[in-house]
Amino acid sequence: LREIGQVKINRFLQWRIFTWLILLLAGFWIWISAVKPGSTTNGLIPAPRPGFLAPDFHSLDINNLPVTLSEMKGRPVLLNFWASWCSPCKAEMPAMQRVYADFENQGFIILAVNATQQDNVEDVVAFIHEYQLSFPIVFDTDGTVSRLYAVNALPTSFFIDADGIIREVIVGGPMSEALLRVRVEQLLESE
Amino acid sequence: LLPVISIGALAVPVPALVLILGTWIGVSIAERYSKKFSIHPGRLDSLLITSFIAGVIMARLVYIARYPDAFLPNPASIFSFNPGLLDRWGAVAGVIISSTIYIQRYKLPLWRILDTLTPFFAIMAISIGFSQLASGDAFGQVTDLPWAIELWGARRHPTQLYGIFGASAILWTLWPGRKLIFHSNPGVYFLIWLASSAGTRLFLEAFRGDSVLVLGGFRSAQIIAWLILGLCLWVIGKKLSSV
Repeated sequence: LREIGQVKINRFLQWRIFTWLILLLAGFWIWISAVKPGSTTNGLIPAPRPGFLAPDFHSLDINNLPVTLSEMKGRPVLLNFWASWCSPCKAEMPAMQRVYADFENQGFIILAVNATQQDNVEDVVAFIHEYQLSFPIVFDTDGTVSRLYAVNALPTSFFIDADGIIREVIVGGPMSEALLRVRVEQLLESE
Repeated sequence: LLPVISIGALAVPVPALVLILGTWIGVSIAERYSKKFSIHPGRLDSLLITSFIAGVIMARLVYIARYPDAFLPNPASIFSFNPGLLDRWGAVAGVIISSTIYIQRYKLPLWRILDTLTPFFAIMAISIGFSQLASGDAFGQVTDLPWAIELWGARRHPTQLYGIFGASAILWTLWPGRKLIFHSNPGVYFLIWLASSAGTRLFLEAFRGDSVLVLGGFRSAQIIAWLILGLCLWVIGKKLSSV
């Protein structure tokens, strides 16, 4: 029995030594792989994903006036890619309009990019009148903006904070009104 | 990087599809080897389904409780399919509470349940890697190594692939069909998987470009993984010494 007890104690001690060795090595790895604060995703590179700077673009709106995303810096932006034939886009537009009306005076803006390459201007104009949309809408006639934002499905929405950093990307829809309200409030709070 | 597959007018999100596939394969393999751990496959099924439903319901309820004002203008949003209206900690609480109640109600042995679910967890770890590869999440640091991949405006470590290789190596080593000596000690199989996964994450996190930094530059995921690793090794030591 004494021998069995001794074997148990030895095994336990060996395991404890192994444990401490592993933890020390792991601790050393944590220490050497530490980096300067802000050196990971810090929004310096423009890319269409959360944590990165929203890629800038220029486009024409419904009145043929130029619109530039970077001019909206300092305001939270919802960048929404849509088309008039897309059912989820139709479903989420009324909620987007209501949320825009409620938060516009706090600086929030919606920039809706119409995927004109797969739509037509007449339908877009009829759509805007039907849904009484008051936020800026621009035409992506050659698909440049959609490619810049790697849009593979409609609708796709990018929530951009006042510093121009993308905070969330939502592919598909429709987004519910509650989701929109929470995200917009979070963007406004982070200002 | 393949976030969406377009099938006609239907846009299928690939990351979610990969996770669903991983869940199906994981559950099938866990069920296949469940008798090895003296757990009936039907019990395992019921436990997973109950936990999933409770997790989703709790996630939505907690979200509503956190942001009640957002639901007042349009209460129908409560039943919206938006996954963005789910609270992750609510989901975790729902899964823990429902599985605890289920395990106690049917007097199931907790460590044996965790051993049985280990292949499921291991396969999910691989499918999470594939899901991140499709979405471009969990991306690596900028590097000029020859195997770097072009992602998000720079050449980066393919950390998603590192994760897939790591999780696959763990699954291969701990494949439930093998005869492993620690299968006889309840809980050790699960704890070894958890310790290996924590160790792998701790190592690979150093190559990530999206780490959350704390305490002046330390990667928070590494600190959490170190704590889990230490806890697992300590419990394994206790269990082995009691044999």
